[in-house]
Amino acid sequence: MDAAIEVVNPGWLSLVVDAGRSGFAHMGVPSSSALDGLAFAALNRLLENAPGTAALEVFGTEFALRFSGDVTVAVTGARTTAFLDGAQVEPWAAFDAKAGSTLRVAQVLEGFRYYVGFSGTMELPPVMGSRSTNLECTFGGLAGRPLVKGDRIALAGCRRVARRSVPASHIPAMGPPHVLHLLDGPEKELFTADSFDKFCNIEKNLWYSVSAKSNRTGIRLQGEPLSFARAEKGGIVSEGLLPGTVQVPPDGAPIIVLFEKTMGGYARAGIVASADLDRLAHLRPKDRVMFDRVSPGEAAELSNARGSYVSSLYKNIGG
Amino acid sequence: MEILPYGENGLRLVFGSEITLETHALVRRAYLYLRAAGLAGVTDIIPSFTTCLLVFDGGRTSFEKLAGAVRERRGEMAGAGLGEPKTHEIPVTYGGEFGPDMDTVCAYSGLTEEEVVECHTSAVYTVFAVGFLPGFPYLGPLDKKLFVPRLDAPRVKVPEGSVAIAQLQTGIYTFDSPGGWRIIGRTHIRPFDPERPPYSLFAMGDQVRFVSA
Repeated sequence: MDAAIEVVNPGWLSLVVDAGRSGFAHMGVPSSSALDGLAFAALNRLLENAPGTAALEVFGTEFALRFSGDVTVAVTGARTTAFLDGAQVEPWAAFDAKAGSTLRVAQVLEGFRYYVGFSGTMELPPVMGSRSTNLECTFGGLAGRPLVKGDRIALAGCRRVARRSVPASHIPAMGPPHVLHLLDGPEKELFTADSFDKFCNIEKNLWYSVSAKSNRTGIRLQGEPLSFARAEKGGIVSEGLLPGTVQVPPDGAPIIVLFEKTMGGYARAGIVASADLDRLAHLRPKDRVMFDRVSPGEAAELSNARGSYVSSLYKNIGG
Repeated sequence: MEILPYGENGLRLVFGSEITLETHALVRRAYLYLRAAGLAGVTDIIPSFTTCLLVFDGGRTSFEKLAGAVRERRGEMAGAGLGEPKTHEIPVTYGGEFGPDMDTVCAYSGLTEEEVVECHTSAVYTVFAVGFLPGFPYLGPLDKKLFVPRLDAPRVKVPEGSVAIAQLQTGIYTFDSPGGWRIIGRTHIRPFDPERPPYSLFAMGDQVRFVSA
């Protein structure tokens, strides 16, 4: 079956994403992957797609998409109130869209970014092995740019699939306050002990607020700045960066690095535990964020618990 | 060489703390050796000025396993060949509309524009790392006479192809991008093309000479 999607309204920002680029970091090419890896993977399971099949990552309301051709669709990630031609569709569940029908997202109830996927492959050329959009360098996705009204993307190999869903009880929590478990970063020692302790000791009850200047490259936090132990203010010789790293520029305001940079030259106070990485997709401007320092052993336990939860979620989807 | 963890999926090999050609050679040797070795579970290797970051899949290996594998190969790694680096000549149109910071650099260094160009084109630079932007070469060492600090407030948009300097480094902006280095010229060479393998003109260790177009 041939089908296509047409963008009626792109919401605040919608992009083509997939599992991202891997193996090119030595030439400065970042992953640009879907920010919520679990929501993205679950989406493809709901639709019986091959893992990593490209989808749309959207934030904001008013997003609307018209289908030409019959296709099975699902929306995961942020919990939304969405309608297909006026009939409400369940979040994290596959539903059939007939040719000529329109999907509209009216409200985002919890979380920030949501993922819209189809039981077919968007006919876009992979760039360096991925269809993810690198917005800063304008390649990948649809001509390297966000979708705009009127954009049309053909879907190849569309088929109807069983109407699978994730039970409401299994949809991950995405709302604030966000407590992020944090491992020590390589440059922890560049901060005063008091300041570092306050920054990530949950007992000290220090909250940060997500800045409106945050974007897909990094989440900027406002709140009490960290203090550097020495006058050089923690500038380091630039080196490789991992997603989830909390970088601190000279002004002391932490930035959580996402999936768009391979190198950086600011002191790295910490790194968010892998179990909490998907949550970073859902930090909205003004949300409250707190860091909770963990040991590598505790991070491994969190990671195991997350693994069990993900397995049980997948089991519920079936297939 | 120190082997240190970084988060749950990173292993840092640290070879020094200063930007020197000696440290660079150690990083490059380790990088080339480890890339060829194809250690199980390693998904990316990011070499930079003083370190190599190994990114690994925690489902396929662990920090301890990987650290062990690196230690085992330490001797072999130290003796690995470096290969001949490539040499590139990059034509640059200096000053004028393409080099909006040339006057500042002249004022800072006390040199005339001709002397700045002469100084920038007379050295052969080493690619210490590729990053910041896809294909962006961090080149050095720059002659101390050309030392200028970064801009206090980065420009919102530096045009692709801009040749810039900051502190003791020089580089080429491979995409339109925000940037805080001082722009002294522009090249028509496009050092990165995501549509065409091998994508990046520059690799770590390559040698670069600028020529005045």
